[in-house]
Amino acid sequence: MEILLINLQNSMLKRKRVLWILSMILYSSFSFAQGIAIHGKVTDNEGSALPGANIVVKGEKKTGTATGIDGKFNISATIGDILTVSYMGYETKNVTVDGQNMVVTLSETSNSTKEVVVTALGIKKDKNTLGYATQSVDGSTMAKAKEDNALSQLTGKVAGLNIHNSTTLFADPSIELRGRSDVLIVLDGIPTDGDLWKINADNIEKVDVLKGSVAAALFGSKGLRGAIMITTKKGEKGKAHVSFNNSTMWQPSFLRVPKVQTEYGNGDNGKYAYVDGSGSGTEGGGWVWGPKLDQTDSSTSSGYMETTQFNSPVDASTGKLTPLPWVSRGKNNIKNFFRTGLLQSDNVSVDWGGEGGSYRISLSNIYQYGIVPNTDLKNTSFMVGGTMNPLKGMDISASLTYNKQYTKNFPELTYGPTNYFYNLILWTGADVDVRDLRNYWQSGKEGLQQRNYNTSWYNNPYFIAYEYLRSYDKNNTFGNASVSYQFLPGLTGKFITGINNWSLFRDYKVPYSFMGYSSKSLGDYSMENTNYFDINTTASLVYEKMFSPDFKLKAEGGYINYYSNKRYSTSSTDGLTVPGFYSLSNSTNAVTTSSTLTKWGSNSVYGYLDFDIYKACHLSITGRNDKISILPTKNNSYFYPSATGSVILSDLVKLPEWFSYAKLRGGYMQGRTGMGPNGVYSFITAYSSGTKWGNATSVSYSNASIGSDIKNQLEKSWEIGTELKFLGNRIGIEATYYSTLISDALMNVTLSETTGYTSAIENYQGETGIKGWEVNLNCIPVRTENFKWNTLLNMSHYRNYQVKLAPGEEYGIDLAKKGERTDVIYAQDVQKNADGQTVVGTNGMPLWNPYNTKRGYSDPNLIYGLTNNISYKNWDLSFSFDGSLGGLIGSTTIQKMLWGGTSPQSVNKYRDDACAGLSTYVVPNSVTLAGGSATFNPTTGEIASDSRTYTANNTEINYIAYMKTYNSGMDAWHYFKRDFIKLRELMLTYKLDNKMLKKSPFTGVSVSLVGRNLWLASKIKDIDPETDDSNLQSPSMRSYGFNINIQF
Amino acid sequence: MKNIIFKIGMVVFLGIFVIGCSDLNELHNDPNRSTTTKPQLILTTLEVAAFSNNVSENSTFTNRYMVYTESSSPYQYYNWQTGSFDYYDDIKQSLKMEDEATRTNDTIYNCLSKFFKSYFIIEMTQNFGDLPYLQIGKVDEGITKPVYDTQKSIYLKVLNDLKSASDGLVTSSGNISSSNDIIYGGDKTKWRKLIDSYYLRVLMDLSKKTTDNDLQIIQRFNDIVSSPSKYPLMTSNDDNGVIQYSIQAGNHYPGYYNNDLESECYMEKTFVDRLKALEDPRLFQMASRTPNAVSNGLAKTDFNAYEGILGSAPLGDVAVAASSGNASAINSRYYLNVAAEPGVLMNYSELEFILAEARERGWISSGTAESYYENGIRASMAFYNITDDATVNNYISQSNVSLTAGDPIEQIMIQKHISMFFNTGWQIFFDQRRTGYPVYDVSGSGIGNNGKIPKRWMYPSSEYTYNSNNINAALSSQFGGKDDINEVMWVLN
Repeated sequence: MEILLINLQNSMLKRKRVLWILSMILYSSFSFAQGIAIHGKVTDNEGSALPGANIVVKGEKKTGTATGIDGKFNISATIGDILTVSYMGYETKNVTVDGQNMVVTLSETSNSTKEVVVTALGIKKDKNTLGYATQSVDGSTMAKAKEDNALSQLTGKVAGLNIHNSTTLFADPSIELRGRSDVLIVLDGIPTDGDLWKINADNIEKVDVLKGSVAAALFGSKGLRGAIMITTKKGEKGKAHVSFNNSTMWQPSFLRVPKVQTEYGNGDNGKYAYVDGSGSGTEGGGWVWGPKLDQTDSSTSSGYMETTQFNSPVDASTGKLTPLPWVSRGKNNIKNFFRTGLLQSDNVSVDWGGEGGSYRISLSNIYQYGIVPNTDLKNTSFMVGGTMNPLKGMDISASLTYNKQYTKNFPELTYGPTNYFYNLILWTGADVDVRDLRNYWQSGKEGLQQRNYNTSWYNNPYFIAYEYLRSYDKNNTFGNASVSYQFLPGLTGKFITGINNWSLFRDYKVPYSFMGYSSKSLGDYSMENTNYFDINTTASLVYEKMFSPDFKLKAEGGYINYYSNKRYSTSSTDGLTVPGFYSLSNSTNAVTTSSTLTKWGSNSVYGYLDFDIYKACHLSITGRNDKISILPTKNNSYFYPSATGSVILSDLVKLPEWFSYAKLRGGYMQGRTGMGPNGVYSFITAYSSGTKWGNATSVSYSNASIGSDIKNQLEKSWEIGTELKFLGNRIGIEATYYSTLISDALMNVTLSETTGYTSAIENYQGETGIKGWEVNLNCIPVRTENFKWNTLLNMSHYRNYQVKLAPGEEYGIDLAKKGERTDVIYAQDVQKNADGQTVVGTNGMPLWNPYNTKRGYSDPNLIYGLTNNISYKNWDLSFSFDGSLGGLIGSTTIQKMLWGGTSPQSVNKYRDDACAGLSTYVVPNSVTLAGGSATFNPTTGEIASDSRTYTANNTEINYIAYMKTYNSGMDAWHYFKRDFIKLRELMLTYKLDNKMLKKSPFTGVSVSLVGRNLWLASKIKDIDPETDDSNLQSPSMRSYGFNINIQF
Repeated sequence: MKNIIFKIGMVVFLGIFVIGCSDLNELHNDPNRSTTTKPQLILTTLEVAAFSNNVSENSTFTNRYMVYTESSSPYQYYNWQTGSFDYYDDIKQSLKMEDEATRTNDTIYNCLSKFFKSYFIIEMTQNFGDLPYLQIGKVDEGITKPVYDTQKSIYLKVLNDLKSASDGLVTSSGNISSSNDIIYGGDKTKWRKLIDSYYLRVLMDLSKKTTDNDLQIIQRFNDIVSSPSKYPLMTSNDDNGVIQYSIQAGNHYPGYYNNDLESECYMEKTFVDRLKALEDPRLFQMASRTPNAVSNGLAKTDFNAYEGILGSAPLGDVAVAASSGNASAINSRYYLNVAAEPGVLMNYSELEFILAEARERGWISSGTAESYYENGIRASMAFYNITDDATVNNYISQSNVSLTAGDPIEQIMIQKHISMFFNTGWQIFFDQRRTGYPVYDVSGSGIGNNGKIPKRWMYPSSEYTYNSNNINAALSSQFGGKDDINEVMWVLN
């Protein structure tokens, strides 16, 4: 009985109602009872009704009932019979029938409130029994303040889960759990294919985060980096229930956008005269190191300095371009180019259920109107799901979702000429007003040649927006079906199968005259088709027995099969005969095509034993054996065990009254994976096709050699933790410390290039580790009848480090020595002397250190999130902050601004001097190398020996030449502290109360004002430090809007 | 009863499902890549790697053909540091071609492999000095840290391999695939001409080693030149070792739409001045008129329309000169024409200059240095499509072009330098380093490295991390343990 109950309930919030519904079904057939009619009510200690409590006449297994929604029950029994009254999470009570009206009061089994967690393979467990760290987020908190992506809404909400959201439309956030990416995302017990966009927040009942490999042990290899378990909403029994939710958010203002100087225009060395857009000669190579703007000149008619510009009219008499005033027309180019974004999310769902089944249908649509002109994204989902109970003891549930993600164009931003930002932030001087570029074809060459101030390096940003089009059309179908059936008392068979299936069509249109690096398009067109399918099937038997009230055993053994298949094909042409007609049949040259097929699978058996001793001690032992297709056959089978345990001290020892709950937990597991660094076929060394020269096809051999005896990677993890609650659960603390050691890592081990290979794919003979901690602190500072304030603080910390070096090696991963962190950033730097002064050559230019040196570390010291919920009568206010401390972020955006001449830092007198052809800049804090030499450790770049002597440096150099030379690559000084704090979410909700709704058809109405991404504090300027790496992403936008939720 | 049927039905259903998906062996093989191949498919890869890698911007800065305005180029200011080991991958591809040739019994490809391996290792040893050569591609045998071979032993092996490659092309049966050989379309004789000519280049690289008894340079040189029927050499531009570019995707000339070429590179002053002094019509093919000359209406054939920028001047001055409109950029054909010119591994003109030098040095006695020299100039003119005999004859008859106008070796090297503008990779640097001609300007105050032209590249940093014992041994035996760009390697001693 209990198994069934556990399996069906979805969350604490719905628990009472669900249990009641179940009881109604299960006991509805027991209407033949004999004896007198007993009426009663079951309540908790505080007198609240307990709906769905079970009442059985002891000894008469077939006579039983359950309480209604109001906690009341009717049963036939005789005076003197003993009624066994049970309710999950409460002590079972035997009461003697002493009259026709009975009130039974049940007390909770422990001081804790029971919380059900969906664990690995979708097995639901009481959180008290778990020996590892988990944290849950209720779906209702994700329904209102929408992000484009449901997973992004978890930012800051879970200790140890670090989400870097991208500022660019439809760009995946990067998700790390305990410092590792590739976190498994599981939907209703079925691992997904990693598409973060197909899950709609409106359909999420609850998210349980299994924080590490110990928690996710039963998932095998896939769970080595933890798992995010998403449970979707299922239908509820009762009358049909309709819910409508609309969320509308605008993005009207920048939270962070690079600030560019607007005092100097295009050109180089203070000179600029437009000739033909080639960038050559007086056009200054496309730099923004041109003349100062707004300089007065009494000799011109405008009163300003004048020079030829791209929009200069041609003088009819001379045929030459007429000079125009050199003024700062483009001070607001960035603001003028972008538009107000919109994110609108709608959901309608219908719930309905009766005896023997319940259903839910949900229709969702998310529409995003991008801040970049002509970009958008449509994301539509249709979901049906439900449960059936055709037989007693049998439970069938299924859900199926169709999701379509569609756009004709969205921005894909990397550094380079295809990026709006590249053209706008880096390479457009304020002499150009971007609005003058809105008409982007050259007159008379429409469809053939874009119009821009430079046509050899850059693209007109409007031309990119309206002509360089990247479509996306993905159709996802996914779902699962499960059957569980109790064959015999205590023995249940389970079968669950789930599929992920999608097809993706993309095409890429590149107009005539579009500039890439070293390419000018003659109309490129390509199309891609991808088809993906995977299926996960599990069949198992569950046995559960309570041997005595103090000893309970649950065991499960099962079989899992996994298969996936991905087919990809692409066809492209690099020239179109008719410009602007994007069809492969319009190709000038032969169409190029290629295709790949990737298949893999695994067969697994697994099992676990759960022991509950004295209700306070819980021990779980799991084992899983995988046989996989992605390792050499002789090494393709491996086993991973785990053991976890927890002790509820507060149930064993009498604690002071203020100390409400104490739990200790710990776990160990050995995980393995066979997935190599290059995916499914990593272990096969072979020829790949190369350039086709004329009609000659070519192949080349892999530059990674493959170890002859590749086997699985081994990971040993352990964690310990505690969960404490105080003052009647008003203060709760959870803390976890964990450690993972990785040996035999399957990776690309770097080799000397002189072997002919750059690396070997093999089992790394060294050992690396990850250790860290998570703490979450929950507190209810105020709780009165009308006012409640709940606050949650999440903090986490992790370190990747070298545990052991490979035999004979001096350095480990990323040049770490034994015990050192492996997240070191090495970067090119200029030479420094012992006093830290920059060493310059006789020409006054800094000397480069010949080898990269250590700049710092990339991982943060602390990741934190703070959430507050305050409710007063019908009002709810919630707000959350999050951020991180420590760690460096490299910014290509800032580096390139310094390089190209748009950085406000470059506005100074040296620049004016350089514009006048003068060399006046002396490298700050520098000395000139006079004699001697230094040798460097070629691996770490540190000075090995030094006999250098110096003289004072007063060599004056050209400032612009200096800036162009020393900011041309990502160097040591382009890394910055990532520390930041962000106001992630602010939401004010008003709920109409029942009195107001009484005469309306509605059962619930709420309206919220919502803001996201509202405020940011950080030391680094110009970029949003939250992004994974700063390489010309879209600006970071504030979002404001409202949410309306109506139930009837 | 209903219950039992249901239970049985479910078990059967589950059983079918589980068995149906459990064959892993079927999934084991990679359907996208082949584990064996035909040797000629690797040949195409090798040809692209060897022939299409010689259009080098950096080489033009070092060799005072062009200047760079984007940033302070270490190649222009002579303060570069570490070099690249990229050709090791190509040597391995060549070894794989041998494996596949042996497997398919197409041994003719083993001859070509000898040539390619030799070419790649010579290119690299000219950069660094000693290098691992004999232990490449033996990771399977447990050799993950190859030992360094001396530069001399590398040269000796290369000389023997090239000879046996040329001989093998005669003795081996079988044919080179005409469709996959994108250089000579399977013409074995042309391959022998290239290999024999290249053999002479390698011998000339060793011009400081004439007294080495193991190498017998002069003897070897004579063996080839004296038996043209046995060892054919290139006789015209038709025999050039070049790759042809085309409009096909991936087959473009490397400079095609190269933004740097279009707006960041300008002609170097000493080179332009030399061409102007020699009234060399190749200037019109190499450079564009200055913007000021264009707006003043100067003709393309007017030498006054061309100006260069002094490469050794500080970057600020270089960039100011460029934006003043008084500097010539490279001729626009290099970035606007998808097949601007072929990619050169070795041209016929180079062979003639090698023969001229050998004749001047007294290595050979056949022919005259003058005729070899003139042949070289004529071939170079033809390469630049200057085919008008009168123009070429006028040029050659100028007194300052004549071989005896100065040091004949200098005259030969000046012409070789002109003929190798933006082609043939770094070969002109190796020749200049060997002979000291033409003299490269280091007078400007922008120059680094204390005004010295580097003699080599430092070994890549990764070698110290992944092969430290062997590289340290190689450094101590060559340069007293010092990895410096000014150290003098064996071949230059």
